[in-house]
Amino acid sequence: MADVVLKLENFSVSYKTQKGSLEAVRNVSFELKEGETLAIVGESGCGKSSLARGILRLFPRNLEKTSGKIYLDGEDILSLKEDNFRKNILWSKISMVFQGAMNSLNPVLKVVYQVAEPLIVHMGMDKDSAFKRAKEMLSLVGISESFAERYPFELSGGMKQRVVIAMALVTHPKVVILDEPTSALDVITQANILNLLKVLKKELNLTYIFITHDIATTSELADKVAVMYAGEIVELSPAENFYNSPAHGYTMMLLNSVPTLKTTKKLKSIPGSPPSLISPPKGCRFHPRCQYVMDICREKEPPMFKKGEEHFAKCYIGESHE
Amino acid sequence: MNNNEILLKVENLKVWFEIRKTIISQPLYVKAVDGVNFELKKGETISLVGESGSGKTTLGRTILRLYEPTDGKILFEDKDITNLPFKELNWYRKETGFVQQDPFGALAPHFSVYRILEEPLIINKIGTPESRKEMIIKALEEVKLTPVSDFINKYPHMLSGGQMQRVVIARALIMKPKLIVADEPVSMLDASVRIEILDLLRDIQMNHNMSLIYITHDLATVRAFSDWIFIMYAGNLVERAKTDELLSNPLHPYTKALLSAIPDPDPSNRFKLREVPPGEPPNLINPPEGCRFHPRCSFAMEICKKEEPKEINIAKDHWVKCWLYKEG
Repeated sequence: MADVVLKLENFSVSYKTQKGSLEAVRNVSFELKEGETLAIVGESGCGKSSLARGILRLFPRNLEKTSGKIYLDGEDILSLKEDNFRKNILWSKISMVFQGAMNSLNPVLKVVYQVAEPLIVHMGMDKDSAFKRAKEMLSLVGISESFAERYPFELSGGMKQRVVIAMALVTHPKVVILDEPTSALDVITQANILNLLKVLKKELNLTYIFITHDIATTSELADKVAVMYAGEIVELSPAENFYNSPAHGYTMMLLNSVPTLKTTKKLKSIPGSPPSLISPPKGCRFHPRCQYVMDICREKEPPMFKKGEEHFAKCYIGESHE
Repeated sequence: MNNNEILLKVENLKVWFEIRKTIISQPLYVKAVDGVNFELKKGETISLVGESGSGKTTLGRTILRLYEPTDGKILFEDKDITNLPFKELNWYRKETGFVQQDPFGALAPHFSVYRILEEPLIINKIGTPESRKEMIIKALEEVKLTPVSDFINKYPHMLSGGQMQRVVIARALIMKPKLIVADEPVSMLDASVRIEILDLLRDIQMNHNMSLIYITHDLATVRAFSDWIFIMYAGNLVERAKTDELLSNPLHPYTKALLSAIPDPDPSNRFKLREVPPGEPPNLINPPEGCRFHPRCSFAMEICKKEEPKEINIAKDHWVKCWLYKEG
């Protein structure tokens, strides 16, 4: 049995806005074992990026408060002092591939320098050994020595994405958060990058948190899937259950809206749009859009029900609630 | 309704963009579209699929005559519009509509929805202010932005991405065009909204018996959506066929690679690696000789490196541009 690497307990993040407090992440709990991949899926605005950035403490300026616990290797990292967290945790233990990062590479620096930068800045390495390690990491992600000395504009989109992945891995972190790592890429390049992520995961025994709104790509990496809606995890299940026996109304409707090549089933979109997080609906937050809605959903917020082995959902469907 | 009438015919169309011309050097060209042939019948939908940089957007925009063709012919209802000067294209602008990829950039931020939709009517001197209002309300109802009074006076920043894209579609629709080109209309939108917008486009296209060219890089969305699929690679159409035929019997190695790269929602995928062709799409300034796919193709033969394959009609409604196949 592998060890638990990352554990979240009732993690919440709220922001200050002009209209009041906005709870972007609400009571999120999960645990991840070493070498496992958790996919977080949801619509834009559901809080998945806030959750990822919250784990890394990369908050926007209008942060109101955070609460709950985050354990990394058993150590509560949310209560660590800021400089201690930056020195010992950020990048060295947990790192992140940001959404659209391939377009944020510094255009006037050679890519090898950009990959070496976290080593110099965060690990205090000297330049020569940092460059050596950066080159090793680049060749591991499939970028040859000759390309390491080039500038970002000389690389294609897929290669830039490889560079960004190398940047996140060069400090040998245990946990890597991938925020939509393939959303801007063509299908063939996407398949290439997903292949690379699979290989790296095996070779380096990495633990991934993989954030996406594209359900089809989750199947390429995920061992576990967490579905987020309006700031909450509404269903957490092993990947097999997620596709074959979804338990939450939102997950079921989400799966019906995914176009696939093999099936000819009629696709159905989810009506309406996600609720405002400043004044979310009463009861289950999904009830105004849910096709399976019952009276109780409008009144009482559902607790997390156990629906099977390691399978949890915040939904009254299939529960006796008298 | 005559559905066998040909609306658009494209013959050997080439669009080359000139780059770097100095006194001493020969001009260089980016051959974005290089020898494309097809026909589009009234009321039919084509999905034009390819990677970024394959020339699919250029082809779409050239058909709308937003770009100048370099060579070849575009016939719209048997009228040759290839080289018509811009001044004489006004009638053609009314017959065609364009749905841009990025709704956030396609709408003027200082115009209300009403003004955005009135603009094309004013420019083309259609109707009176009262009849224009009626047309605008009807168009908004058609794209399901209802109740109309909630939306008609809003500005783009007050709308969600999906709502903005509906306004863009309403604008393309308001002149009642015969042909709409939709360039990646859903790629900037959330997954849950995509199907809605595509369904909407499909409904409108069928109700008005319009023809539609849907440009996308996402093969997974085309099945429910189109009559034809055209696969584009490096400025060429490498394969074109009816949707079911192409998906069940793909012939060109590039088409096969594209199809196998699409993730299907199956949790066992995570244990296996996908087969992907090596390398990157070629540079269009100096594309490879012979078949443009040969450096990445696992079936490449000697002839593929030397001679460009011709497009052959391999079965009913199925054309392929590959040396692996022979006519008949």
